[in-house]
Amino acid sequence: MEKKILPYNNHHVWWITFGTICILTLFTRFYKVSEPDHICWDETHFGKMGSWYINRTFFFDVHPPLGKMLIGLSGYLTGYDGTFAFDKPGDKYGNVSYVGMRMFCTALGASIVPMTYITVHEMTQSIVSSAFASLLILFDVGILTLTQYILLDPILLCFMMGAIMGSVKISFGEIPEFTFKWWTWLLFTGTMLACCISVKFVGLFVVLLVGFMTIADLWTVLGDLAKPVMITMKHLIARGLCLIVWPIFLYILFFYIHLKVLNHSGNGDGFYSSAFQSQLIGNSLHNASMPRQVAYGAIVTLKNHRTGGGYLHSHYHLYPDGVGARQQQVTTYTHKDDNNKWLIKKFNTEEFNGVELVKSGDLVRFEHMQTKRNLHAHKEHAPITKKHYQVTGYGENGTGDANDVWRLTLIGAKDGTELTAVSGKLRIVHYLQSCILTTSGKQLPKWGYEQQEVSCNPNLRDVNAVWNVEENVFDELPSVSFDVYAPSFMERFLESHAVMLQGNAGLKPKEGEITSRPWQWPINYRGQFFSGSGYRIYLLGNPVIWWSNLAFLALFLIIFTFNAIKEQRGYLKSLAEFHQGKLVACGWLFVGWLLHYVPFWAMGRILYFHHYFPALLFSSMITGIVLDYLLVEIPTLFPKNYSNTVHHILLALILSTISYSFVVFSPLAYGMSGPNANEPNSTMFGLKWLDSWEF
Amino acid sequence: MEKVSSNKIENIEDVSEHAKTADKDDRKKKVVVMKNDNNRGNEHKCNRDENDNRKGLFNINFQIDLVSIVLFASAAFTRMYRLDDPKNIVFDELHYGKYISLYMKNTFFFDTHPPLGKQLIAGLAYFVGYDGKFKFERIGSSYSDGVPLFALRFMPALFGSLLIPTAYHLMLELGLKQTTCILASVLLLLDNAILTQSRFILMESMLLFFSLFGILCILKFRKLDLYSLKWFTWLILAAISLTCALCIKYVGFYSCCLGLAIIARDFWKILGSKQYSDRKLLTRFTIQALVIIIIPALVYLGIFFVHLKVLYKAGPHDSIMTSAFQASLEGGLASITKGQPLHISHGSQITLRHTHGRTCWLHSHQHVYPVRYPDKRGSSHQQQVSCYSFKDVNNWWIVKRPGKNDLVVEQPVDVIKHGDVVQLVHGITSRALNSHDVGAPMSPQCQEISCYIDYNISMPAQNMWKVNIINRDQFGDKWHTIQSLVRLIHVDTNQALKFSGKQLPDWGFHQHEVVADRIISQDDTIWNVEEHRYTKSEDQKERERDLVNAEMIPTAVTHLSFWDKLYELHYKMMFSSSDGVQNHMYSSEPIEWPLMSRGIAYFVSNTSNAQIHLLGNIVIWYSSTVSLAVYFALYTFYLLRRRRYCFDLDEHTWNRFIFIGEIFFVGYLFHYLPYFFVERTLFLHHYLPAFVFKVLLMAALIEHILILLTDVLKIKLLLYCASILLSIWLCSVCYIFKKFTVLSYGMTDLSTEDILDLRLKDTWDFIVHKN
Repeated sequence: MEKKILPYNNHHVWWITFGTICILTLFTRFYKVSEPDHICWDETHFGKMGSWYINRTFFFDVHPPLGKMLIGLSGYLTGYDGTFAFDKPGDKYGNVSYVGMRMFCTALGASIVPMTYITVHEMTQSIVSSAFASLLILFDVGILTLTQYILLDPILLCFMMGAIMGSVKISFGEIPEFTFKWWTWLLFTGTMLACCISVKFVGLFVVLLVGFMTIADLWTVLGDLAKPVMITMKHLIARGLCLIVWPIFLYILFFYIHLKVLNHSGNGDGFYSSAFQSQLIGNSLHNASMPRQVAYGAIVTLKNHRTGGGYLHSHYHLYPDGVGARQQQVTTYTHKDDNNKWLIKKFNTEEFNGVELVKSGDLVRFEHMQTKRNLHAHKEHAPITKKHYQVTGYGENGTGDANDVWRLTLIGAKDGTELTAVSGKLRIVHYLQSCILTTSGKQLPKWGYEQQEVSCNPNLRDVNAVWNVEENVFDELPSVSFDVYAPSFMERFLESHAVMLQGNAGLKPKEGEITSRPWQWPINYRGQFFSGSGYRIYLLGNPVIWWSNLAFLALFLIIFTFNAIKEQRGYLKSLAEFHQGKLVACGWLFVGWLLHYVPFWAMGRILYFHHYFPALLFSSMITGIVLDYLLVEIPTLFPKNYSNTVHHILLALILSTISYSFVVFSPLAYGMSGPNANEPNSTMFGLKWLDSWEF
Repeated sequence: MEKVSSNKIENIEDVSEHAKTADKDDRKKKVVVMKNDNNRGNEHKCNRDENDNRKGLFNINFQIDLVSIVLFASAAFTRMYRLDDPKNIVFDELHYGKYISLYMKNTFFFDTHPPLGKQLIAGLAYFVGYDGKFKFERIGSSYSDGVPLFALRFMPALFGSLLIPTAYHLMLELGLKQTTCILASVLLLLDNAILTQSRFILMESMLLFFSLFGILCILKFRKLDLYSLKWFTWLILAAISLTCALCIKYVGFYSCCLGLAIIARDFWKILGSKQYSDRKLLTRFTIQALVIIIIPALVYLGIFFVHLKVLYKAGPHDSIMTSAFQASLEGGLASITKGQPLHISHGSQITLRHTHGRTCWLHSHQHVYPVRYPDKRGSSHQQQVSCYSFKDVNNWWIVKRPGKNDLVVEQPVDVIKHGDVVQLVHGITSRALNSHDVGAPMSPQCQEISCYIDYNISMPAQNMWKVNIINRDQFGDKWHTIQSLVRLIHVDTNQALKFSGKQLPDWGFHQHEVVADRIISQDDTIWNVEEHRYTKSEDQKERERDLVNAEMIPTAVTHLSFWDKLYELHYKMMFSSSDGVQNHMYSSEPIEWPLMSRGIAYFVSNTSNAQIHLLGNIVIWYSSTVSLAVYFALYTFYLLRRRRYCFDLDEHTWNRFIFIGEIFFVGYLFHYLPYFFVERTLFLHHYLPAFVFKVLLMAALIEHILILLTDVLKIKLLLYCASILLSIWLCSVCYIFKKFTVLSYGMTDLSTEDILDLRLKDTWDFIVHKN
């Protein structure tokens, strides 16, 4: 029955369809790829970062480095010299050779379509399914728009699809195990996984999906009693090597390259610790030398350990009336300045006799070098965080009162350990009030020159209350080169991750700011302008495809539940073999969709519309397969002589709807000019189907 | 591939047959056990078969479940011992006590948690005649004599005591040995955290009881004859109990999920058996589904109905709710708005309230925007418009049709409808609400709103606003006072008047910024008229006088239906939870809970170091955490072995092993994992529901391991070792419980050394008074 309707299953048809789809892809993706010739949307970020790689300038970003490195590399290879500023969206490129980078991203983005074709074919053995799935992706204007610019998303999507393709080849394909081809595909999958997670951390969800598929695989192997357990062990080890060890190695390698390439000081320095900064050429700590131990009488700067934390700072200005006591302000300041310098004194004497080292547990006072006042705290409210006490500069010429005394403790060391510069992490506890010197990271108002608040927290468990000595000036101790503090690669690797993690968690939407919410995404509720004014580009999914994706997702769930119940009742022999495993394939894709969509609901960070596109790929593949299923099932409802006709009519109908909708909505991706769509003389008139669309 | 899967199917069928026979065996065994119990004159639950046999005419079957009673009695003793000590406000009694006082006074309050727990306590408080006059001001302050403290704390203590026998029966229902069941309930009895939590006006003990009792009901129900009276009774009881848990705190939802999962699992199993026809299964499904939907809905609505019926007076939290809601409360907004004209018309004097989110009213005053902002952008230098959170004469605006100049409302009234274009004139300054293509002060991406001042600098007035009534299908096209939710769309630029959420700096007196935003459909662009009267005089001075000392003539009372109130209350509960206390000193993260790295200081006496600190029994916490890992490891191990057709356990033991996991392990995950995705401030007591499941799992697992040692491994020595270890462990549980009771009761004066002695982990922060 099925064979009669589907005479397509042979090699020739496969290649013809594949070829057609590839040609269509090339044509749609590279059409107008160099337009508009100005910076679009986030190109301003990623282009800039690409330039930094070319210039070898260190920077800070919340994403792992691979995507930006590739952009930088492609720019470098195509003759971009890294001098363009990438200031803001809308800036003209002029004669900067940006096209190379665009072409590179577009090419990676284009590869998604053929890979989808192969993946779905591998899962279902059906050309119709795979053709539908890849056409749905091909004709989605959203994916087209997203993959045409210098962004991380085309790179991410490409690696993601590659990982899925590889793992499907292994799990669904009939490659004999432990052959050369098998190993190649396994390594390919591992490589793709590593690349994926090194572009953006959302790659983690693909890793999970592939992990689940692998576990299912191993489970099947284990259940085959004809094979000894050793085979399972071999499989386990092979997978472990190729899908865990190898990707981890690659991931670390990418970071190694990243840290090796970026060896010049840049705007990201401040996020990192003093030791880290000392590795960057051009940073004031680079090649510096100073005493290793801190002695009484040394002039030091104290750096707060939170991400982007500044130096303990004071200046000749007082707290204004009504803000605690009217004494001298103490703040943190992120730039280097003479007002950051403090003199370490014993708690009971102004004299220094010889070299006496500061030890953990000592009682000390800090005197501000410029103003000769001591670091002081008392029971008044801090300016912003009212639960904390105020920290001020107090006294004259170094004489103050008992509230100037602080106890130093080194973290992770016993009392009596010598304090070292840079590497020693300090807690500074007020002796009388028993509160801890900390910074809340909140900006002071204008009277505090927008520096950050310093306060004394009675809760000693404050995580921000960690400081380290950075500069250390003391003549009587021998200076050592800063190289002794040079962190190893692993330390730098771990520190970058800690900083990235904090950066990611800090991306919270501000109050009143409109953010895109996950429920808006599948329904294509609101898009994103890539380029405004004269040449408008608007990232928005092809509504025909997106909305039918939703419908088909629901349909799939119904069909699946229905058949699962049938199987449980014994009416259906095996769900796994139903329609050549189409349902199982859809099941896996559905898991993929869930993995790439649901976690966003739980994320507190700021979210954007384009976060949905990985999930969209899965959803489109499901639609493709379910369409094929319907194309087989619906004609059987008709008398036999009509069924073939019905099948073909439906096929034509679907194909023409998808391609026509693409033609209609393609100006969104290729650029619109002229009036907005709500005016009758616009080219897009009548296509603004939702009020929330802004084109 | 094909072979494998067909094998699998056969295997599954095999297993299910096994299971069936095993089940039967199980039942027989149980009957035998029961008989033995009865013979011994022991205290066991009534058995159906036995009763049927002995049914006689004047036969009274009287059985006492001695174990349950002993458990209950000891629980009640520990929980109610000197219940009204300390006579101070302990931790969250501050909030709950306040709510209970408000219940006594029928005053409306707003809480993000549902009301049942507070209602139960308030019910008893009402019964003993508490007048609700005590003000709960701060933690630690002492109660006055008029407060029936014992009664207020009685309900949580009672439910906390009932929890122990409930756990016992729950374990029995799973077919575990009686000793195991007693062990489980004793462990719960000896946990200090549950003890502490049950002794004060807090919700957790009630939540725990209803959750466990609901699960117990479901376990009973699933064994009974289909459609028998008992079947229905237990199903309905389960539904009621789980809904009650949901109505105490919304985390009860996870218990409901667990209950549903058990029912769904059973149903799925039944689907596979051939002895039921499709039709029968469908009816069964429908009946169960109906009961599960209808009963909870009724209970839930009933509880909220009582809540809203009782709280009919205006109170301190009114301003969170919309004007319409406030107007329906006695003595609140109703007293002001009573008798307002219903329809907004040309010449209406109104205050415009920002409906959702922060409460404030559209406001303007004489001051103008500064010429330049600190970021060097320029402003229009026109009169400021803001959103002000307090009632003020400057909140009054006059609605005007563009064509008319006479502001007096004439007869017939010229009502404004949806789609009409109006101007809004500020009452005191007589300037019109205006917007133009100038960046707003705090949100430069939006347009500035001002009251128009003509500086003659080719900046024309753009003061036309289109009235867009959102809920017009509900209240009609006319612009109603209070009920109509409107968006004001700026005609020239097609942007909506919006509350941006940002505060203006000094020059704007820290009022909230109002802007025009091109994204129209969002909650912050919704406004409604709160106060309203008609302009009666054309003279500006007289109008001002009217504004300043206005007096209303009462004519009609606003009424809001139960459904509207319910909807609004839930809307606000959903969206107002974000502003919880941040950085509480004793807050903790979910990841810290299994190892109990932080407790919560509930109370410390002013005079001594006697204190109450929420901490669990550390032996129980740690060992139950270990048991989770052990269970999981064993489960994986068995599963892998079975996959290779090595059946280590007999079918009965295996099935029970699986089932305890499906209830307790899954139950634990249900109650624990969701917290990782919660953004609120979390405390250790949020872990208690998960903890209970964990402890029950541990007890069941101990039984399993003992069975494993006696029946499968059969090594005597190991068994002895295990028993010795077990007894040592039990002793240490008792010892720790005894040692830490001082922190649960808070009546013993402690020296600094005593406290340091209790500080087993250095992450625990107890409070010590400085001398």
